[in-house]
Amino acid sequence: MDLAFSGWSGILILLMYGLIMLSVGLITYLKNRNIHQSLEEYYLGGRGLGVMVLFFTFFATQYSGNTVIGYPPSAYRQGFEYLVSVPFFIMIIMAYLLFAPRLYTLGKKYSLITPAQWFEKRFKSKPVTILASLLMLYGLGNYLLEQFVAIGQGVSGLTGGTIPYQVGVIFFVVIMLIYGWLGGMRSVAYTDTMQGIALLFGVFMLLLGSIIYFGGLPTSADYMQAYSPEKLGIPDGPGVVNWFSLLVLIGIGAAVYPHAIQRIFSAKSELTLKRSFSRMAWMPFVTAGVVFLIGIIGINAFPGLSEGDSEQLVGMMASSVASQNAIFYWAMVLLFGGVIAAIVSTADSVLLTFSSIISNDLYGSYINPDASQYKKLLVGKLVGVLAVAILILIAWFPPATLYQIFVLKFELLIQIAPGLIIGLYWNRLHSKAVFAGMVAGTLVASLMSIFDLSLLGFASGLWGLLLNCGICVSGSYIMTASVVEEEEAKQVIGM
Amino acid sequence: MSQTRKEPIKNGKLWIVFGVLLALITPWYFPSSFGDILIYGIPLWAIIIIAASLLLSAFLSYVIKFHWHMEEEQEEAESKGAK
Repeated sequence: MDLAFSGWSGILILLMYGLIMLSVGLITYLKNRNIHQSLEEYYLGGRGLGVMVLFFTFFATQYSGNTVIGYPPSAYRQGFEYLVSVPFFIMIIMAYLLFAPRLYTLGKKYSLITPAQWFEKRFKSKPVTILASLLMLYGLGNYLLEQFVAIGQGVSGLTGGTIPYQVGVIFFVVIMLIYGWLGGMRSVAYTDTMQGIALLFGVFMLLLGSIIYFGGLPTSADYMQAYSPEKLGIPDGPGVVNWFSLLVLIGIGAAVYPHAIQRIFSAKSELTLKRSFSRMAWMPFVTAGVVFLIGIIGINAFPGLSEGDSEQLVGMMASSVASQNAIFYWAMVLLFGGVIAAIVSTADSVLLTFSSIISNDLYGSYINPDASQYKKLLVGKLVGVLAVAILILIAWFPPATLYQIFVLKFELLIQIAPGLIIGLYWNRLHSKAVFAGMVAGTLVASLMSIFDLSLLGFASGLWGLLLNCGICVSGSYIMTASVVEEEEAKQVIGM
Repeated sequence: MSQTRKEPIKNGKLWIVFGVLLALITPWYFPSSFGDILIYGIPLWAIIIIAASLLLSAFLSYVIKFHWHMEEEQEEAESKGAK
């Protein structure tokens, strides 16, 4: 990306962000020295996150740097049809209402640390817990990989190539590992807060600058009316199907991200969780809505870009805005630093959840259940660092074939939803049916993605999910849980 | 036990409203002329979608505040006392 404000000011702002993140980690460490003895303290911030911090840490799981850089180009190409990005973020909160109230209560009752631990508690089945854990680890690993690539590209873009891709990745990943190691969930959530505020501020300044220098929506609409009226039109039949499938898939999918679920356990109280969700329900208008408008204004500002060129839209608009005056110049530097920081903040949440599943569910439950909490934590952190090292190598030397297996994430993560959600309410849900459903759903979703197959225009993850749900329900009717198992499930759910 | 426990998923009426709102935020019901009428540069159909989305957010806030109550009173009092 070629930015007018790249170069030394970019380097300066990145160093500043890095320094702030490190200080947050250090302060958290000094203030909470006991957290390295307890999984709950380290991974969940001692179940003590307040409304504001909880809100921003949920915010960071939903909105990443990708929202700012990737969404305007889509709005640019699709026009008002991409307005769907606003309601689909609201749908996530509706999806939370399906399970968060009960899961929070149970999380507190059983001191749950990870989503996989709920599977263990509910199904008491080693295969189910291990499969769910592995699916999550695999999906989270690919998610991390994607963030690392994005960090590298962002840094080299913002510094005008002065800082090469590799150095950028190492710099931020090392910082992330240090503050994550020192402060656990607290560091992650505090840095999420800082990054969220920087990003919101930057995006607003970009919108303001774009309206001032390129003209607002009416100017853009005039242009569309004259040259591309379809961008103003109502979505046609397939457009509506696509719109609806996005609402459902993103709603459920983003709500069951393991790192999103884990944040439910971190809330200080039900009231805190409720208030954070309530705020989240309004955020799409000022996040997705604002970046959507930027994309629409771009239609008039930089007309006729090819698909590849349109991907650079935000960089081009920010460069023009930055060259107007000093205030906008620094606001744009801050925005692009914030974009990179937001990617780091998404990566740190993912890594923390990754380590927690190792600490608590694989090592802590099956390999060495008698280990002290300190040791479980240490193993989780070390495996996390090792995974990061491997992923960085994959990012630098992408394998020539089978690259698709490193892209699967959403398709896999969503497969834990049926066992998790139906299991909260239905005592008869059978562990073998859940296992079979997860396997079948994963295979279908992965193969469809890898071989690029599609059916009726719905995403492959959705087909896997449907099959998974079908097997969970029909399998439970066929195998019928014994009276004892059903009674046990009733006891666990307890409401 | 404290006052009545309220869980959103168990309240069918709420989900009827959610269903209606979901239908309203999907653009299947507009006459084609709604793409030609522009209000401050935004097509009329998009304005209706935005209005319906605002309604959905408002309804979510309402449900979260008044129809989600799982914790016992004592715990809530505890958490209030702590801060």
